[in-house]
Amino acid sequence: MPNQSPPTRYSVVAQGFHWLIAALIVVQFTLGWTANFLPLGARKLARLDWHKSFGMTILTLAVLRLLWRLFNRPPELPAGMSGIEKRLARATHVLFYVLLFVMPLTGWMMSSAKNYSVSWFHQFTWPNLIAPNEQAFNLLKSTHDTLSWLLFALALLHILAALKHHFWHKDDVLKRMLPFTKSEKRS
Amino acid sequence: MRNLCLAATAVMVLGAATAAAAGASYTSDPQQSRLEFVGVQAGAEFKGVFHKFTSNVDFAPEALATSRIDVQIDMNSVDSLDKDRDTTIRGKDVFDVAHNPTAHYITKSITKTATGFSAVGALTLRGITKDVPIEFQFANQAAGAKLSGSAKLNRLDFGVGQGDWKSTDTVGDAVKINFSLVLKPQG
Repeated sequence: MPNQSPPTRYSVVAQGFHWLIAALIVVQFTLGWTANFLPLGARKLARLDWHKSFGMTILTLAVLRLLWRLFNRPPELPAGMSGIEKRLARATHVLFYVLLFVMPLTGWMMSSAKNYSVSWFHQFTWPNLIAPNEQAFNLLKSTHDTLSWLLFALALLHILAALKHHFWHKDDVLKRMLPFTKSEKRS
Repeated sequence: MRNLCLAATAVMVLGAATAAAAGASYTSDPQQSRLEFVGVQAGAEFKGVFHKFTSNVDFAPEALATSRIDVQIDMNSVDSLDKDRDTTIRGKDVFDVAHNPTAHYITKSITKTATGFSAVGALTLRGITKDVPIEFQFANQAAGAKLSGSAKLNRLDFGVGQGDWKSTDTVGDAVKINFSLVLKPQG
């Protein structure tokens, strides 16, 4: 990797990954949480069908995004942030990456454990990860549900932090992830 | 033990002798026989089995006119490796086992094909009787006779799927059947 100074903005690719996955996660919460309240029936299955297809899309994007991230340096955190703030920001981002993998993987395993194989928009079927097993399903489902709350809390923290940077500190932390904007060095 | 072997051999020889004339009579061994169905749900295949079924088979490759396969299936014994789904399948919109506890298949005609045999038989499922063709192989070895094959049917022909389940978006109409009957001489 060439030893250049870090970029001041996220690249178009990084922005694309960020906003596409963010939008898909909103869709996933809507589908997943509403399906949870439906009785087993055609409507629930149809909703989970979309949920699973989108989930596998997120998993695929997460793999590509992680590879991209490993070979492309992101912009640095503003110099004005304290050590603990920087550590908290990094931990949040690492946890996001972990959840981008763990959420789809536990969902995929849930489907396998319940003998409901995962299709990708009815185009092909993903292989089962584990053998059908009721106990495993129950454990995976509670994990998947609990982690969805963690993801929700993390997203809230992430959004509030971005807004705090923008409106309170008046730095370019939010703007450098927004497409069609220009970041001027404000910090 | 020796006497038992002799007796068994005598039965087999007798069996073979009768087979040449009319067609041997068998019942399926419930422990080793298997009746499986493959449906499509949310774009992905899922498998289930019927644990309880009985078959009476009169079969000899050289006496097809008098050969016959007769299978009674206990619909309550359905197992798709998910209790929730099994409950739904047994319910009134799908198998309606309360009113139709058994399904029945009996061949009307059997013909030889290039690779084995094919038959047309009447399937009574959920109170509706319709012809369903099957393809099968028959092997009569020292270890015993085995009849295995497959069929395809459309679940909606038999009213399997009422209300929400009539839609084929989430649960496909076509269902594959795979069977493997390990046969014991009758009597």
